[in-house]
Amino acid sequence: MTIKEKGYAHWDGEFLDKKFPWWPITRYGIKLTFRRKQFKFIFPLSLLPAVFFLAGIYVSERLEDFPFFGRETVEFLQINPSYFKAYLASSFMIFLIVIIVIFCGSGLICDDLKHNALQLYFSRPIKKKDYFFGKTAVIVFFLFILTLVPGLVFFIMKLVFSGSFKFFVSYPWLPLSIIGYSVVVTAFFSFFTLFLSSLSKNRRYVTILIFGTYILSDIFYRIFYDIFSNHYFSLLSLRANLQQVGAVFFSQKTPYPIHWIYSLLVLSGICVLAGFVLKKKVKGVEIVK
Amino acid sequence: MKTVIETKKLSKWYGNVLGLSDVSLQIEAGITGILGPNGAGKSTFLKLITGQIKPNIGSCTIEGQKIRNNYHFYSKIGFCPEQDSFYEEMTGWQFMTGLLKLHHYSPSEIKAMTKEALEIVELTEDKDRVIKSYSRGMRQRLKFAQAIAHKPEIIVFDEPLNGLDPLGRRKIIRLIKSYEEEGKTILVSSHVLPEIEAMTKQIILIHQGKVFAQGDIHYIRDLIDTHPHIVSIKCRNPRQLASTFIQEDYVLNIHFGSADNTLLIETNNRDKFFSLLPSLFVKYNIEVDEITSPDDNLQAVFDYLVEK
Amino acid sequence: MNQITVRRLLFLWNSIRKVYSFFFFMGKKANKTKIFFIVALLPVIMALIIKLNPIFSGRSSTEGIYIFSNVIIVFYLQALILLLALFFGTSVCSEEVEGKTLTYLTTRPVSKSAIILGKYAAYTSLVILMTGIGVTISFLILNVNKLHDFSLYEILIRDVIVLSLGIICYTALFTFVGTFLKKSILFGFVFGFGWENVIQYFPGSTQRFSIVHYLKSLLPVPKIGRFSFLMFKLEPSTPVAAVFMLFLITGIFLGLACLFFSLKDYIFED
Repeated sequence: MTIKEKGYAHWDGEFLDKKFPWWPITRYGIKLTFRRKQFKFIFPLSLLPAVFFLAGIYVSERLEDFPFFGRETVEFLQINPSYFKAYLASSFMIFLIVIIVIFCGSGLICDDLKHNALQLYFSRPIKKKDYFFGKTAVIVFFLFILTLVPGLVFFIMKLVFSGSFKFFVSYPWLPLSIIGYSVVVTAFFSFFTLFLSSLSKNRRYVTILIFGTYILSDIFYRIFYDIFSNHYFSLLSLRANLQQVGAVFFSQKTPYPIHWIYSLLVLSGICVLAGFVLKKKVKGVEIVK
Repeated sequence: MKTVIETKKLSKWYGNVLGLSDVSLQIEAGITGILGPNGAGKSTFLKLITGQIKPNIGSCTIEGQKIRNNYHFYSKIGFCPEQDSFYEEMTGWQFMTGLLKLHHYSPSEIKAMTKEALEIVELTEDKDRVIKSYSRGMRQRLKFAQAIAHKPEIIVFDEPLNGLDPLGRRKIIRLIKSYEEEGKTILVSSHVLPEIEAMTKQIILIHQGKVFAQGDIHYIRDLIDTHPHIVSIKCRNPRQLASTFIQEDYVLNIHFGSADNTLLIETNNRDKFFSLLPSLFVKYNIEVDEITSPDDNLQAVFDYLVEK
Repeated sequence: MNQITVRRLLFLWNSIRKVYSFFFFMGKKANKTKIFFIVALLPVIMALIIKLNPIFSGRSSTEGIYIFSNVIIVFYLQALILLLALFFGTSVCSEEVEGKTLTYLTTRPVSKSAIILGKYAAYTSLVILMTGIGVTISFLILNVNKLHDFSLYEILIRDVIVLSLGIICYTALFTFVGTFLKKSILFGFVFGFGWENVIQYFPGSTQRFSIVHYLKSLLPVPKIGRFSFLMFKLEPSTPVAAVFMLFLITGIFLGLACLFFSLKDYIFED
């Protein structure tokens, strides 16, 4: 057995059956994110749209008290799956998610690479999948607070404010849609962020990669669409793909007249590529040629 | 001897954390060891001396000139920092020549100086490998090389022996001592006492940001009158010897050492003790194998001062 | 100008040259430069797709120079050079502090201003080179059937100069931001993709509080309609005023960067 496989990096002992071995990684990742001063300011701000949408749900039950609202506003405040899609799958929400993952996710693997911490992790009795799960859970924690939690709160508060289960009877699948879409968006951004984080030891570089990929993908789509008037170019845009999939989850008309399965395939393809690269990049010993 | 480096009331804070407090020193040519535990302020002191950071209070001059932003002076100074950081994608050769270019030497001079420096630290064979692939010891030696390549008159080493194997340490210590013979001014910081003891007798003890002592190690030791000296005597009848000392008022404590025939005597008057010792041996016909002072060294001085 | 000042300036110039060659050489070989070079070549792929599409679709193609001026150049202007300048500009100082290699530079007989200016010049050169290659190849692809028309090359040269001015100016700004702020990237995003876009909607003199206004003043105003999302409401300044302002902004931010870098203590994080 060559030294690089057996060496100092790997745990040779017995792997005990321990519940949640990834939890310390997650807990520490969340703690570190909250230590950043700018994040303490930006994270509460990112929840403001949720507050406004919640206020909208309240107002929707008291529309007669707001006669000055225009027709469009009244239409918007008809709480139905499109209202939930308007929050969860809007361009602004996806942009907010990108900002949040920059803070909580850009340094997750790149800081470990920078400080040679991978050897420390894998000399403990944790497996690679525990390491990845722990890191992913940091992103999941923050994105669920932004997506899943407000989505479910909206649903519950709609029932509470309306005083009946009529809304649930009308849309019994809606909670599953909220959970499903939140899981899809979170899973995609987890893979995406960890993949880019594993590409460099420089956090600034990773931040620019995350933001740049998001922005440039959208610009490319709009340029090609303007030239060719072909909606298939929306597959280039991360935002557009997420919105296509989001529309399906909430049984709405897709924003782009192409089959949603293509968008799902693009997102899945990125996740598969990310997984493949992560498996190669994250190892206990680095061999420098 | 002429003062080379002078500090007056040098103090530095990092926010609320005290880095260095009221340090006034005069350092002459030769090797001076800066000694202190981790976090004592050694690196802060060296960074202030070399103008990397500016003091909150006080001043620091080298050969009478302020060093901070006095960049012309850096042709005379070499600095070997503590942190293990490099331009990782460069080779050792590229790193050395690149930094020497900043000294405005000609290409042929740069080539010769780089070759010489790499030969001194035994990195000639690895000069074309990227620094990323260097071992810890090689990286330390490269750091050393970049500090000496331009033959500075004043060299500051911050923990230069970190990461080196025992052979490497010996070589570097020998090298540093050779610079003293050339009349250079060397400052070496370390928290490993035997390393400093091997290089120099002139030390500055720093702890918690303050200078506890400066000067020759033995001189410092002698100054510490209040701290009892320990003398170890190895003889055939330690108990008989012990009984003769019991009555003396300058003997504070007597222990029997781990080996059967060793006696450890604690005295607050070393001179009187040693002056009486031969007569006692003769009077009681005691055969002595060995007499040593286990605490007449830097470790003991350091431990005492730090605990104080 | 007396002899001492001349000697000082000469020494500064030599120091800047030495620092420039050190970092240009290092930057050329760095992995990150290779990645950003690929990013700078993305418009080339765009140009290829645009050029090849009529062959496969059978549709008539839009004139190459039109696409080049209204899509490729504007894409570089509004997005790519911002990203490149943000990364390389903030790297001038932040890279040395984060990598803890600053000590090697500040213990050499070169002034701190020379370090900043030399490294800035090296990184700006690299970005201009990357962008120039991407722009030129895109131009050649889009105008492959009109390469004999030498009047088109004037447009290429003009656009490369405008982009170079943009890179020089943005990199200077972000160099200053990198010396001044610890978390410079967030400021860079807010400025580059927030302020620079939003301020262009404002009429009158408010537009003049952005760098992109002066850059667009050096380009012909596009027709409203296609690609209007890329170019906003523009009330251009005169070309002379625009160039003057760009150099003034560059000079101010580089001066501030040198000042801050000389005065500030950079503490390495453990």
